[in-house]
Amino acid sequence: MTRWREGAGLAGALATLLVMVAAPVQAQTRGGAVTYAAAGGVGSLDPHVAAALVELEVIHHLFEPLIAMDESYNARPMLAAAVQVGADARRFRFTLRRGVKFHDGETMTSADVVASFQRYAAVSTNAALLDDVASYDVPDPSTFVVHLKSSNAVFLDMLKSPTYPLAILPASQKDQPGREIDVIGTGPFTLESWDKDRHLVLRRNEAYTHDRSAAGPDGLAGRKTVHLDAVRYDFVADPAARLAALQAGEADAAANLPPDAIRRLAERDDIAVLRIFPYCQLVFVTHAGHGPTTNPLVRQAIRAVVNVDDIVIASGQLARRNPSLTYPGSPYHTGELADASYDRRNPQEARALLQQAGYRGEKLVLQTNGTFSYMRDAILVLAGQLQQAGMATEVQLVDWMTNSANMRRGTGNWNVTATGFCTQPLLGPQQWRRQLFTHPHIREHAGLEAAYRQFFTSPGFAERQAAWRQIEGQLLDQAFIIKVADLGAVRAHHTRLHGMAPYFFQRFWNTWIN
Amino acid sequence: MYRGILMRLSQAVPVLLIFSVMVFMLMHLLPGDPALAIAGPEASPEAVEAIREQLGLNRPLIVQLLEWFSHIAVGNFGESLTLKQSVVSAVAERLPVTLSLSMVSLLVTLPVGIGLGVVAAYWRNSWIDACVMVIALLGVSLPGFWVGILSVLYFSVSLGWFPPSGYMPLTEGGFWPWFSSLIQPAIVLALFQIGFLARITRSAMLDVLDQDFIRTARAKGVDEWTTVAKHAFRNTLIPVVTVLGITLSLLVGGSVVIEQVFALPGIGRLIVQGILNRDYPLVQGTMLLFGFAFVVINILVDIIYTFVDPRVRYG
Repeated sequence: MTRWREGAGLAGALATLLVMVAAPVQAQTRGGAVTYAAAGGVGSLDPHVAAALVELEVIHHLFEPLIAMDESYNARPMLAAAVQVGADARRFRFTLRRGVKFHDGETMTSADVVASFQRYAAVSTNAALLDDVASYDVPDPSTFVVHLKSSNAVFLDMLKSPTYPLAILPASQKDQPGREIDVIGTGPFTLESWDKDRHLVLRRNEAYTHDRSAAGPDGLAGRKTVHLDAVRYDFVADPAARLAALQAGEADAAANLPPDAIRRLAERDDIAVLRIFPYCQLVFVTHAGHGPTTNPLVRQAIRAVVNVDDIVIASGQLARRNPSLTYPGSPYHTGELADASYDRRNPQEARALLQQAGYRGEKLVLQTNGTFSYMRDAILVLAGQLQQAGMATEVQLVDWMTNSANMRRGTGNWNVTATGFCTQPLLGPQQWRRQLFTHPHIREHAGLEAAYRQFFTSPGFAERQAAWRQIEGQLLDQAFIIKVADLGAVRAHHTRLHGMAPYFFQRFWNTWIN
Repeated sequence: MYRGILMRLSQAVPVLLIFSVMVFMLMHLLPGDPALAIAGPEASPEAVEAIREQLGLNRPLIVQLLEWFSHIAVGNFGESLTLKQSVVSAVAERLPVTLSLSMVSLLVTLPVGIGLGVVAAYWRNSWIDACVMVIALLGVSLPGFWVGILSVLYFSVSLGWFPPSGYMPLTEGGFWPWFSSLIQPAIVLALFQIGFLARITRSAMLDVLDQDFIRTARAKGVDEWTTVAKHAFRNTLIPVVTVLGITLSLLVGGSVVIEQVFALPGIGRLIVQGILNRDYPLVQGTMLLFGFAFVVINILVDIIYTFVDPRVRYG
């Protein structure tokens, strides 16, 4: 029986929609400070090396890239006014927005842009993004041209990535090592103070240069207006403590709350709950290079027993069914095309596949971690489901660092593990490639590599979509990845705070206090 | 006595040496890789390897250990991989929080723990004794994080008496904001110690109350207050002071959990983050400083013995 939080999710989305529709008619008052209970401490504010969500939430208020992610998670110019793409998708000419000021008062020019790209290539852990760059041109202070060695039809999509954002820094920061920059961006907020481990305060950037070509804010791009004087991020690692801070009025908004907070906050008229979809995907990853799961039939047998509802209920997460590795709403979403491999809940099929594979009761190691309880619970339920189909299982509990390192390196003698992919499905096929190809057992898969080659070199969207269908089809059919569900996040805020819309990142522009 | 203290300090050197080797080995035996934590989830294997190279993590363990020792010998505890600051400054920034928490907790623990132990011993086998022992048992049995969460829900969310999380430095907000940010976690932290201290004090007091000199004092007509407070209690202090040293160590250790629950930016949280991120220099350096602090605490306990019991002599 399905007892997910889907209904509540729809109701929440509707309520949020009503709030958003109602928002423009409310007076948007300027001033006031907000305290946000963030999910952890910020270690660095260097955008070029930032991958942690708690850091990125702050960084996107301080820095901006040429191309950013819009409300639908697609690419949209931010510091670029326009982009011209060459017919062969090897030349990208960016016309910069004029008059954009850094926090230190200097005007951004193409010299800053080329310096930022060069620094990114030198220090970023995502420097591979620019591996294919042949050269840069800066014909004038407002123009920046990138020449690629080979065609890349999704280069702009890659530049929009909010993880390791390719933010534009002043040229003076070019030679600064990773994590050692001066925090000078072009964003709508400036850094006022930062007490490591305690809190960080952002102040409104009075000299912020709005994107006047846009009617309003659009994801991480568009016309951003700051009404608040300041935002204080309190670093509260424990979800229960964040919830308590919100309930006690110590915080105006709180990040990533436990799903049962929805029920606990239901009676509070002064607190609104936001359900954030899309947020992450819960998947099982099989090790195609170790033990019994080297055999695709065994991997398919594992997939055949998965009962999604049971796993989701046990994990206690806000979740939605989705067979695809992209989210509904994405232009690459395959939806029902991926149904054939989803939620099979068929032990008989699994037994037949195992017999065909010549499986003789070899032990399957299911490795998981205690850091993320939903992953652990998902693996525990899967272990039961596998046993019902006659598979011998051993559950290994390690910490997240170990689990993650083993998964990415293929070490640790595991066969199945659970994980949550967040930005990859959000940003599209190009982002999946980077994640998938860190796994040694997938990295050199000829079929996937050929399909990806087609994806990157096809100028037409239809061809790229077809290539992605091949990629996703292989991943799911060969059961390299077994999709469980889309997971949501829960955030909440006091109702005196307006303009809070559900989005992957918490934003404080276009929000105000009544 | 000075000779005795010097001897104990010299004995501490091999202890700290063995301790530091153990911490180093345990950290490096843990699976996981700090380079992966620094690089992030989507970094390529090449990028991760470059970070390993940059941090010197691909060198043999013994080389890394000897290099660490050579740095410590000149007072350099290294630089945190994730915080990009020296271990000493990272600890110094957070030390006031953990020390404040431990001291306030100790101020709660001492009178309550010792008082309950004395009361339970004096009225032994009565309902008072039973009640005190139940409280002590609950104190040592209930997990701190659970009591902490319940306490926040009731005293912060429902009653609004204390802030639910966070720390206000004495220098920023003055005494009351500092105290109100600490008193709730300090009491939660003290619960275990109170139970522990009450049981030890009761046991020591029961031994003393059965001694001949107490009977003699009562036979001589010394009033009951003087008998218990002056003659009996003073003779229970040796075990109590011993336990106090352990308690202080436990307070610092216990703060690891309590600092998480109450979002206090202390050393406990620093260590937890360090372990989760496999920040080797940070954890090794902090643990070594902790180890040194415990050695000092034990030496202080030894010195206090000489004041509590004049028969104790060193050197």
